[in-house]
Amino acid sequence: MQADLGLRGRITAPVRADGSPATVVAAVTARKAVRSGVLWGYLFGIAIASSETSYVRLYKTAAQRQALAATYATSKATSALFGPAPQLQTVGGFTAFKISMTLLILGAVWGLLTSTRLLRGEEDGGRWDLLLCGQTTRRGAAAQAIAGLGAGLVTLWVVTAVIALLSGLPSSVGIGAGPSLFFSLAMVATAAMFLAVGAATSQLAATRRQAASFGAVLLGVSYGLRLIADAGLGLHGLLWASPLGWVEELQPLTSPRPLALLPIVAFTAVLAVVAVHLADRRDVGAGMVADRDHGQARLGLLYGPSGLAIRQLRATVVGWWVAIGLSALIYGLIAKSTGATVSGSVREVLSKLGAPGNGAAAVFGVCFLVEAILIGFVAAGQVTAARSEEAGGMLDHFVVRPVSRSAWLGGRLLVALVVLVLSGVAAGVLGWLGAASQHTGLRFTSLLGAGINLVPTAIVILGIGVLTFGLRPRATSTVVYAVLGWSVLVVIVGGFGSVGHWVLDTSVFHHMASAPGVPPDWEANGIMTGIGVAAALVGGLAFRRRDLQGA
Amino acid sequence: MSDTALRTDGLTKHFGDVVALDHLDLEIAPGEVVGYLGPNGAGKTTTIRLLLGLSRPTGGRAEIFGLDCQRQPVQAHRRLGFVAGEAALWPSLTGAETLALLGRVHGGVDEAYRDELIERFDLDPTKKVRAYSKGNHQKVILIAALMVRPDLLVLDEPTSGLDPLMEQAFRHCVHEAKDRGQTVFLSSHMMSEVEALCDRVGILRDGRLVEMGTLAEMRHLSALNVEARFDGPVPDLSVVPGVSAVETDGSLVRCQVRGSIQPLVQALASAGVTDLLSREPSLEELFLAQYGADGRAG
Repeated sequence: MQADLGLRGRITAPVRADGSPATVVAAVTARKAVRSGVLWGYLFGIAIASSETSYVRLYKTAAQRQALAATYATSKATSALFGPAPQLQTVGGFTAFKISMTLLILGAVWGLLTSTRLLRGEEDGGRWDLLLCGQTTRRGAAAQAIAGLGAGLVTLWVVTAVIALLSGLPSSVGIGAGPSLFFSLAMVATAAMFLAVGAATSQLAATRRQAASFGAVLLGVSYGLRLIADAGLGLHGLLWASPLGWVEELQPLTSPRPLALLPIVAFTAVLAVVAVHLADRRDVGAGMVADRDHGQARLGLLYGPSGLAIRQLRATVVGWWVAIGLSALIYGLIAKSTGATVSGSVREVLSKLGAPGNGAAAVFGVCFLVEAILIGFVAAGQVTAARSEEAGGMLDHFVVRPVSRSAWLGGRLLVALVVLVLSGVAAGVLGWLGAASQHTGLRFTSLLGAGINLVPTAIVILGIGVLTFGLRPRATSTVVYAVLGWSVLVVIVGGFGSVGHWVLDTSVFHHMASAPGVPPDWEANGIMTGIGVAAALVGGLAFRRRDLQGA
Repeated sequence: MSDTALRTDGLTKHFGDVVALDHLDLEIAPGEVVGYLGPNGAGKTTTIRLLLGLSRPTGGRAEIFGLDCQRQPVQAHRRLGFVAGEAALWPSLTGAETLALLGRVHGGVDEAYRDELIERFDLDPTKKVRAYSKGNHQKVILIAALMVRPDLLVLDEPTSGLDPLMEQAFRHCVHEAKDRGQTVFLSSHMMSEVEALCDRVGILRDGRLVEMGTLAEMRHLSALNVEARFDGPVPDLSVVPGVSAVETDGSLVRCQVRGSIQPLVQALASAGVTDLLSREPSLEELFLAQYGADGRAG
């Protein structure tokens, strides 16, 4: 007999049950992971297809392709940034060189955020408790969730592979099915590894934020080791100490080495097993890493919403500053030696990448694009943190007290602005320190200006985020990361000139001068800052007039 | 100086086609304790979010001590304290840090009273919020609202998660607040709590205020419960004017009477009643009379 729940006439769609009761965790996790995998797979596939198409259109003759290959084969800067560049005279070699590193980092970020969200995030939200009341155990639920994440990974690979396969078919591109599938597999390898990393750190950490931070540190170290290994400093062996290095060793589309899949598969499998094992050895809601439940009151920053925001975000922001500062320092250290390789034809290519000029300054101009992307992520993180405070209901505590919405948002934005400016300053100062130690000859003011030149693009991202927050708060995170992801994609893919100018204009990074290769364009910076501020003002006004909305 | 603590005029809120609150007219005098009842989805929390400026009204207006809730929220909020039944706190802060933060944001903390409340509610303030149980979580929110001794306390399911001892402590705090002249607006599902604390009660149904008055006033609107035992034949009371819901169990008769009790008393006396018990309806019975025994709006 069916119970009358008093819902007759209110339900217009049938309630769907996902799978059997014993596999409901896997089904619920898979549904979310697959949805995300489709979207990101599409982005990955489009990036691959765009790269292949742009090469065919831009480098039509064998002479042009040889010139390109000669340029990058000796460039230590691009090798450090994007990895080595063998066989640039082929579509495959060019594609692998141009987009691999971007996709590998995006894949790792996707894997880490997806697994920590669907494991630790569900646990933090109390939904894991409900699932564990079903026909499963802690160990079983963790295994099921990892299986669900695996479904998302397979989706990511399949969607990427289908697009790569189709785009490789034309004779002008000429990449066969096997190489396309293997390349797609390589491109999602970091996603697999960092899904497993996230699963393991979700067992170690006490909160989702902490779990993601642990994984981010590993990703940062991994990138740093790979960068040093590829910088031509005689430390190539370091590549085997980095998960990003293992993927580089696959050398898809140039000289495939499937054996290099072994450490990747082993790393992923071991971490997945460890995650399942740890899930059985801890209390639900607690982490393996001891976390103090008691503490002396530290009231220093707790004078209001802005002070609290500084306290809550400082660990994350300092982490970003370390990443930005260290990478700028490394760019400074390698700028002189790599700049020495720049000559006539190379200068032309650097110019296409947006950094006309010569020597170390031009190399810095290209390298600082990465810094701008990192600072863009800082901006996106600031606005999504503000939205999280509203979605979680914490904002209510302030606005039911004598704090206006404008004061709360204004305080958050001021904190964000200071963080962004200091991020730019950190990039400039640390870059100068590295360059000065190598007697590069670049002036402090020049690099400080180049650092500050990175801030306006981040202000645009911040402004778009606030605008979305004001008008469609639940879409804040999606929109701000989509704008950032799109901008990165367009500036990297379009940097080689085959994309229409109107498409390039949609990337915030396209409007940034590649200082110090060229002087900062303060007029463009002023316009970008103005757009960001205007968007934030409109968003702020909309926020004042709307209902507060939960998750 | 306004002579009302809280006033709404035609306050209305629509969510798309759904009317969550429909022309609410409410007036609460300073020092009153008013209960606000209704089943889930009746519009209680919507009312409170409109009063607090967390949601924007579709129509009408609300004032707190003469201050417009939408246009002067900061000034209005200086005079109120709010307790939500389900509110997230910052997991990494300790209880003491949370109270310090919320106290600094509001201002005017009575520190001695805060310490007394911490003791009364048996809260360990050195513990981090993430380690608190739901009840302890609720204690932090209660103490944060009470410690500034606001002129108006807006309480939305305030004892959610509290054990009976702590519920008693909460009632004591509300009595104290009333004695000090503070106004309390209490939304609750706990009829006993509302019955014990409130001077007046409002009942909300489908976004409309269907009853508002003191318990005595509302009882006049409802039936009196009567039980009578006879030593002889049981009379047919269903024919007596005003009597309804007659149930007979051997020599015992239960019924309800509306309006004048005189005809029933005469009928009982002539039938040889040996035992008589009459009882006014409880708030729960008044509430159920509004909604039907199945809890749905009738």
